[in-house]
Amino acid sequence: MSRATLRRTLASLALLLCGGAFAGPCPEVDSAAVLWLDKMARSMREISYHGVVTLQREDEMQVMQVSHLTDGDASIERLTQLTGQGAEVDRQAHSRACVHPGHQLLRMSEELRAGRCGITERYRLSMGGRERVAGRSAVQILVKPLDMYRFGYVMSLDHETGLLLKSATVGHGNSVLEKYQFASLSYDPRLPETMESATVHHAMHPHPALVHTGPTVKRPWQVQWLPGGFAATDAPPANGARRTYTDGLAVFSVFLETLERGIQPGEGYVSEGGTLSYTRGMSVGGQSVLVTVIGEVPVNTARMVADSIAWMH
Amino acid sequence: MTERMRESLSALLDDEANELEIQRVLAAVDGDTELRSAWTRYSLARDALDSQPLALAQVDISARVRAALAAETPEPARASGSGLRQRLLRPLASFAVAASVAATVVIGGQQLAPAGGDAGTDAVARLPAGPSAVSILNVAGATAVPASYGTQPLPVLAPADRTAYRELARSRMNRYMQLHAEHAALNTPQGLIPFARVPQIHE
Repeated sequence: MSRATLRRTLASLALLLCGGAFAGPCPEVDSAAVLWLDKMARSMREISYHGVVTLQREDEMQVMQVSHLTDGDASIERLTQLTGQGAEVDRQAHSRACVHPGHQLLRMSEELRAGRCGITERYRLSMGGRERVAGRSAVQILVKPLDMYRFGYVMSLDHETGLLLKSATVGHGNSVLEKYQFASLSYDPRLPETMESATVHHAMHPHPALVHTGPTVKRPWQVQWLPGGFAATDAPPANGARRTYTDGLAVFSVFLETLERGIQPGEGYVSEGGTLSYTRGMSVGGQSVLVTVIGEVPVNTARMVADSIAWMH
Repeated sequence: MTERMRESLSALLDDEANELEIQRVLAAVDGDTELRSAWTRYSLARDALDSQPLALAQVDISARVRAALAAETPEPARASGSGLRQRLLRPLASFAVAASVAATVVIGGQQLAPAGGDAGTDAVARLPAGPSAVSILNVAGATAVPASYGTQPLPVLAPADRTAYRELARSRMNRYMQLHAEHAALNTPQGLIPFARVPQIHE
C-alpha cells in the first residue's frame, strides 16, 4: 500500500470510529489502538522486509531469519531456522487478494463498515508506551482478553510502518508464556541469499474456499461449542479428522481419532510456551475417541471444546 | 447453560473461581440439567488427571446439602478447625475442595433410589482425600444422602494413569503441530513464525 493510500484508509477509519460506529453494539474502544491494529493487519501483507527474529519460550530461545517480499499483487515468504533443526519453510506466490479468516478479523476498518465489532468484542485494546525494537521506534498495543478463553498480548509495532516487531503472549497472573521479536530488520525489498537447509517445507495453503484434503474419520462430527469470536480457518468435510479455529490472534486445532477399543476416560496435557496440547479420551455415543486440542489457548478452553464434540446425525 | 455459567464452572474446575462464581454454580446446578451433566463430565476428566478414585453417578444436588452450604451461620467447626463459611469465602485453594463439593452433591442421583444401608457411606468413603467433603458436610451439620445403586450399576471409572495421558498429549503434539502451524501461519499476525513451534518440521 502506498503511503497516500494508507493515509486515506486511516483517515476513513478514524472517521468511522469518531462518527459513532462504536456507539452501536460494539464495546467501548481505544480508537488509537484499533487504528494501529488495522495498520498492522495490512502492513504484514503489503510491506517487503527481512530480518532476524528470536523466539523465547520458557528457557529455550530459537533464532530464525524471516523475509517477506511483495510486488504488490503477490508475496513470497521464507523462514529459515538458524538454531535447532535448521529447517526452512517458504510460501510462494501468495496473492494479496487472498485474505484468510484470521487476518480478516483484524481488519477493523472493514469489519466496522460491515457492522461487525471484530476482535474488540473479545479483547480490550489500549495503547502502551514507546520502545525501541531492532533499532526501530515502536508503539505498544496492550491486548487484554475479555474472557478466560484466550491469552493476552503485548504487541510492539513499527511506528512508521505498523509492522509487528515484537509480541509477548501473556497468561494467567501476567506471566509471559512466549515472546518473539526482531533482533534486526531491513525494509530492503531484496531477499537475502538462501542458506543451505537439509529440510525445506513448502507451506500449505488451507483456505475456506479451497477443496480440502486430509485425514478423515468414520463418521461426520462437529464441535458444538466454541468460545465467542472464533471462526473456522478452512472448510474441511464433516468427516475430516481436523478442525481449526481462529479469533484473529489465537488459533487452535481439534483432532479426532476413533479408537477400536475402549479407553479409560481421562485427560492430559503438555504445554510449551503458549502452545498447549490437550488430549482427552472419552466415549461419544458409545464410540471411544481420542480428542486432541492443540493451540495457543488456555487449558480450560481446550477442555470445554473437547467436551462439546458430538456425532452428526 | 449461559456463557457466564460456563465460565464460572470452568473457573471452578481450574481453581480460579471466587466465592461469587462458586455460589453462582451452586445456585444454578439444581435447575440446569445441562450444567449438571457438564459438571459431571468435567469432574470426571479432571479427576482422571488428578488420579483420584471417585465414583460418580448423575449429579443431583440435594436441597439439604445446598441449604447447608448456603447457611449464613454454620455451626462452629470442631473437627477441622475452620468453618464452612470461611472455606467458601476463600477462593478455592485446590481442586480437591471443588471436587469434594461436586462429589458430595453427586451422591443420591435420581435413578439411585434413596435407601438406608451402607451404600452412602461407601460412596463417601471413596471421595478424594484432602480438605475433604466429609468434614465440610459434618461441619455444616448435614448428612450425606444415602444412595442405593438400585437396578443400574453405578459407573465406577477407574482414572487413567496421569502420566499415560500426558505422554499421549506429548505424542499428539509431535504428530499434529505442523498441521496446526499451517493454519496459524495464515490466521495470526505472526507470519511463518508458528512453524518455529513445530518440534520437527517435515517436508
